[in-house]
Amino acid sequence: MATGAAIAVENVSHHYRPPKKRPVHALDQVSLEVGDREFVALLGPSGCGKSTLLYLIGGFMPIESGSIRVNGNLVTGPGPDRGVVFQHFALFPWKTVLGNVLYGLENIGVPREEARERAQKYIDMVHLTGFEDAYPNQLSGGMKQRAAIARTLAIDPDILLMDEPFGALDAQTRGLMQEELLSIWQRTRKTVLFVTHDVREAVYLAERVVMMTARPGRIMESVDTRFDEAGPGVMDRPEFVEKASYIWNRIKGEAIATVAARAS
Amino acid sequence: MVATACRYSPLLLLALMWEAAVRTGLISDLVLPPFSAAVEGWWDLAVTGDLFPQAFASLRRAALGLGLAIALGTTAGILMAWNAKIRVFINPLIQMFYPLPKSALIPVTILWFGLGDMSKIVLIFIGCLLPIVVSSFNGARGVEDVLVWSARSLGASRRQVLWQIVVPAAMPEILTGIRTALAISFVLLVSSEFIIARDGIGFMIAGFGEEGVYDRMFACIMTVVAMGFFADRLFQLFMRRVLIWRE
Amino acid sequence: MTSDGAAPRVALPDPGAVALSALFWKVAPAIPIVGLFALWQILSASGAFNPYLMPEVPAVFRRVALELVNGEFLLNAGATLYRALAGFLIAAALAVTIGIAMARIRIVHWFFDPILSVGFPMPKVAFLPVFMLWFGAYDASKITLIAFASFFAIAVNTVAGTQGVDRHLVWSARSLGASERKILWTVILPAALPQILTGFQIALPLAMIVTIVTEMLMGGVGLGGAMIRAQRFADSIGVFSGIVQIGFTGFVVIFTMRWLRRRLLSWHEEAKR
Ligand SMILES: Nc1ncnc2c1ncn2[C@@H]1O[C@H](COP(=O)(O)OP(=O)(O)OP(=O)(O)O)[C@@H](O)[C@H]1O
Ligand SMILES: [Mg+2]
Repeated sequence: MATGAAIAVENVSHHYRPPKKRPVHALDQVSLEVGDREFVALLGPSGCGKSTLLYLIGGFMPIESGSIRVNGNLVTGPGPDRGVVFQHFALFPWKTVLGNVLYGLENIGVPREEARERAQKYIDMVHLTGFEDAYPNQLSGGMKQRAAIARTLAIDPDILLMDEPFGALDAQTRGLMQEELLSIWQRTRKTVLFVTHDVREAVYLAERVVMMTARPGRIMESVDTRFDEAGPGVMDRPEFVEKASYIWNRIKGEAIATVAARAS
Repeated sequence: MVATACRYSPLLLLALMWEAAVRTGLISDLVLPPFSAAVEGWWDLAVTGDLFPQAFASLRRAALGLGLAIALGTTAGILMAWNAKIRVFINPLIQMFYPLPKSALIPVTILWFGLGDMSKIVLIFIGCLLPIVVSSFNGARGVEDVLVWSARSLGASRRQVLWQIVVPAAMPEILTGIRTALAISFVLLVSSEFIIARDGIGFMIAGFGEEGVYDRMFACIMTVVAMGFFADRLFQLFMRRVLIWRE
Repeated sequence: MTSDGAAPRVALPDPGAVALSALFWKVAPAIPIVGLFALWQILSASGAFNPYLMPEVPAVFRRVALELVNGEFLLNAGATLYRALAGFLIAAALAVTIGIAMARIRIVHWFFDPILSVGFPMPKVAFLPVFMLWFGAYDASKITLIAFASFFAIAVNTVAGTQGVDRHLVWSARSLGASERKILWTVILPAALPQILTGFQIALPLAMIVTIVTEMLMGGVGLGGAMIRAQRFADSIGVFSGIVQIGFTGFVVIFTMRWLRRRLLSWHEEAKR
C-alpha cells in the first residue's frame, strides 16, 4: 500500500488498561494521513488522546487495532527516523544539557568532533548558550523544554512528532521558537505533526489543522490553513482571524463536553 | 572546621558527663570504666596490641560480603525489572527470604563454612543481598516510560537503553539500598563474631567482656562505632558525588 | 528502524497454546520454591553431603509440625515476639517524642543531632556486652538492647518527616485558629506519619535481627535460644527447623507492619497505587 503519505494512520483504536482499574478508551477508529513534508497541527480538548496518538506513531506502545505506516513501512518500534519532543520534556536528569543533546548524535554514529559542533549549534539556536553544563534540575520549565527541542532537532529526523513543545514557554520565547521552527521546516522540509492547545499557534504554523473529539478521541475535522502571506503579520489578516475563530468554536463544544464528562 | 566542632560538641559533653559520673562515684567503676580509662585502653591496644589487624580482618569480611552482594544484587534486581519472566522466577524466593531475620543463619553458616572468614562473608553476603536486589528492582522499575522512549527514538538499542537509561535512573535507589546493606553488614559482622569466631573486633569485644577488662571492651566498642560511622560517611560522600545531578 | 520491540497483532496464535502458557505463568511462581526444596532434598538424600550438614526436608518439616503441636513453637515465638515488640515499642515512643522535640526545639536538636548521626550507622549490637554487664543476662538487657537498636532509625526518620512538613499546612492551620498543641496532633503528626512509618519499617527488621542475636548469646526461652541449644547438641534438624520458625515469625511481623501502614495511610496517595 504505497501512498505518498509520510504518516498513514488507519482505523487505530487504543485502550489503556491500568492494573485493577477500568480500561480507558483513549482513541477510537482514528484515521489520519500526513503528507510528505507536510506540517499538520493536532488540536483537541485535554485528555482526548493526542499524546496517545503520537506515542503510537512513535512506536512506543503496541498497536492494538488498525495500522500505522511511516514512509510506507508498518510501525513496530521506535527509531531515530521519527524525532519526538515529549510533552513533559523527558530529559535525562543525570546528563547535562550538552550530554542530553549529544546523546542521540552518539547513538546514530556522528563522529565526536562533528557531534560537538552540531550539539552546540542547536543549543545556541534554542538560546541555551552558557547552560551547556547545567543539569536539567537546574533549569526552568521553559529552558528544559528548549533543551528537549534541541536534543530532538540535533539528530535531524525526517519526521518530527512534537507534543505541545512550546507549552511551557513564555509568550516572547514562544514567538521566537515558532519562527525558528518554521524556518527549519522551510529549509529542511521535514514532515511535522504538532500537538498544541493554542488555536492561533496551530493556524499560524501548520498547513492543515486536524481537530479531535473529546475522549474517546476521533478525528472531527481537518481544515486547510495555508495563507498567501507568510510571517507573523498574517495573524492580523481577516482570513486568519476567521479561520481561527471557526476552529475555536468547533473545539469549544468539545471542551465543554469534556468538562461536563469530568463533572459527572 | 569550627562548624563541625560545634556540631559534634554534644558528643564531647556526653564524654565529660560519663567521666564525671564515674569519678564522682555516681556510677561504680566496676560497671563503667571512666572515659579516660577507655581512651587509655584504646591507646594501649593500638600501639601494643593488635587492635588494627583485628579491625582490618573484620573490615575485610564486611567488604567482601557486601561487595559480592552489590555485584549480584544489582544485576539480579535490574534484570528482574527488565524481564518479566526472570521476575516470575526470582520474586518468590525474595518474598520468602526477605522477612527472615538473617542472624538466624549464623549457626548454619558456621556449620557449613566453619569458624573462619568464610562463614562471616557468606552471612554478610546473604544479609545484604536482598535489600540491594529489592532496591535495584524498585529503582529500575520506576524508570519513567518517556525516558526509555526518548532514548529509543534517539536511536538507542534495547541493550543501550539498559545501560544508558535504566541503570543511571535507578542509581539513587540502588545507592540507598546499598547504604542500608552497609549498616546491616556491620550488624551481622559483629553479631557473628560475638557468637562464634577466632578473631575480629567483635570477638575482641566479647572476649574482654568475659574477662572483665572493661576499659578495653569499651575501647573496642568505640572503634566499631567509629568504623560504622566513617564507613557510612564515606559512602554518603560517594553517593553525593555520583548523584550531583539531583541537586 | 521500524523493527523489533512490540510487534503488532497480525496472526493470532493457537488458543490452546495460549491457555497452556497462561496456566504455566500462573503456577510459575511456585516453581522456584518447590525447586529449591526439591534440589535440597535430592542433594541430602543422595548422600553427597553429610546429613548433619543437610538434613532431609521432610525431617525438618516434621520437626516444625511437632513443635507446632506440642506448643514449643508458640512458647518460643511468644517469648521472641514479646522481647522484640517490647523493645521496639519503647524505642518508638522515645524516638518519636525526641524526634518531634528535635524538630521544634533548638537546643534539643543541638544535643541529639550528632548523637543520631553517629548512632544511626553504628552497629548497635556491639553494645550487647555492656547491657549484659549492666542489666544481667535476662529480659531486661535483651529488651534494652533491642530498644537501643531500633531507636535511631525511627528518630532519624521522625526528624526528617517532621522537618519536611509543608510550612503552608502549618500556616493555614494557624490562620484557621488552631492551637500549637492541636497543630502538632492534627497537622504535623499526620503529615510526618509516612516517614515515621518508614522509620518503623527500617527499625523492625533490625529489632528482629538483634532479638535473635541476644537470644543466641544469652539463651533462655525464645527462638534464637532454642536454635543455639540445638546447635550445641548437634541437632541439625533442630537448627534448620529453627530457621523455618524464625522465618515464619519474621514474615508475620513484617506483613503486619505493612498492613498497618496501609491502614494508617489510607488517606495518602501511596495507598491508591
Ligand atoms: N498510562 C495511562 N493509563 C491510563 N490512562 C491513561 C494513561 N495515559 C493516558 N491515559 C488516559 O487516556 C486519555 C488520553 O490521554 P492523552 O495523554 O493521550 O491525552 P492528551 O490529548 O494528550 O491530553 P493533554 O492535552 O492534556 O495532554 C486520557 O483521558 C488519560 O486519562
Ligand atoms: Mg498530551
